[in-house]
Amino acid sequence: MDKKHYIITSITLGLIGAASAGLIGAANLLTRKQIAQNELDKINSGIIEIFGKNASIESENSLSGYKYTNYSYYIKDSGDDIDRYAFKTTGSNSYGKISLLVGFTMKDSGVEFVGLSIIVNEQTYASTLVDNYINPLNSGDVSIDDVNCGATYGAKLVRNMINDAQIAANDIAEG
Amino acid sequence: MAKEKGQTKLNFLKGIANENPLFVSILGTCPALATTKSVEAAIGMGLLFTIVLVCSNILVSLLRKLIPEEIRTPAYIVIIATFVTIVKMFTNAFLPELYSTLGVFISLIVVNCIVLGRAEAYASKNKVFDSFIDALGMGVGYTLALILMAFFRELLGTGAFSFGKIFTFIPYFKLQIIPVGYEISLFQNPAGAFIVFALILAVIQFIKNRKAELKAYNERQEKIRKAQEAKLAAQNKEGGN
Repeated sequence: MDKKHYIITSITLGLIGAASAGLIGAANLLTRKQIAQNELDKINSGIIEIFGKNASIESENSLSGYKYTNYSYYIKDSGDDIDRYAFKTTGSNSYGKISLLVGFTMKDSGVEFVGLSIIVNEQTYASTLVDNYINPLNSGDVSIDDVNCGATYGAKLVRNMINDAQIAANDIAEG
Repeated sequence: MAKEKGQTKLNFLKGIANENPLFVSILGTCPALATTKSVEAAIGMGLLFTIVLVCSNILVSLLRKLIPEEIRTPAYIVIIATFVTIVKMFTNAFLPELYSTLGVFISLIVVNCIVLGRAEAYASKNKVFDSFIDALGMGVGYTLALILMAFFRELLGTGAFSFGKIFTFIPYFKLQIIPVGYEISLFQNPAGAFIVFALILAVIQFIKNRKAELKAYNERQEKIRKAQEAKLAAQNKEGGN
């Protein structure tokens, strides 16, 4: 192959790459607001699922220093002295991303787990997470550590994410 | 003109019947087994797959004379990956239920051998319109094959057909066909997918074999008839003499 052919080949591939980047960028501009809105809607419905239909977010804080837990949501005061928090915990492995909302109440007696809701599940290995773990957990049939989602690989990640959310909840409770 | 129309029709129909990517070429089986738990999910997967296939075939055909031989495959992969990413973004934004149901299988369209296969085998050698028709036929054929698998899996596995769970813009309804308690949940599992796939392939093969046998039988009969006619003609000739 001569030098000219190398240059033409490189330029062609570069142009295809640039055009692809442009198209993806344009698609991102068109969809990002809607995607963010969808995620917010999922968080709001997750909070209702965990704390009941009157629950809503009063304030949102981004967290740092935790491996998986990146947001905390303070739930509106429902007239009692109990503080209610939800934590968004997100983890990923080579099979995709999982994002969960973990709800806790903070009483004088300590931090208590209330419920768990799924926001994003891109993992094919965690296809049974809702049926095998989240639903039995929310109805009190299994303990928080008995993660079962069809594969050890996915279950380990989910367990670590929930433990991380518990640590974040304890840190907030301890002030 | 009429010949061209007929050719276009054949080009479209080959993807649905004679060259069906799933049931004849046995391509794209992984997403077919994974996304056919419900008819609704199968329609969604088929739709996304068809969009990617049509768009990538059109672009590959448009650029077929510009892409140098050495970088053909990487260029096709970049084009296919671009359309898959765009489709993924739009699905996440406007059909979030479909996005979460199909999960990683939307991204996996990039490595679906049907898409790369059609780009390499057809779009890179044919005109844009022909490539569009070919992609549309293959896409529709694949979608119909997914729907057929999902039909049996949902019916036998849940005993009912439900719509509106994934395409939330249509009102939710459930059509119970098998009484509750009589469904076979195995068909909702991967093993059930393999069983349904194998049975459909077996039926298709049976029909093909029957057709071939019938054709061979007719050919044999025709040969015998011709031989008898020739014999009769020879006898008549001898009698005449």
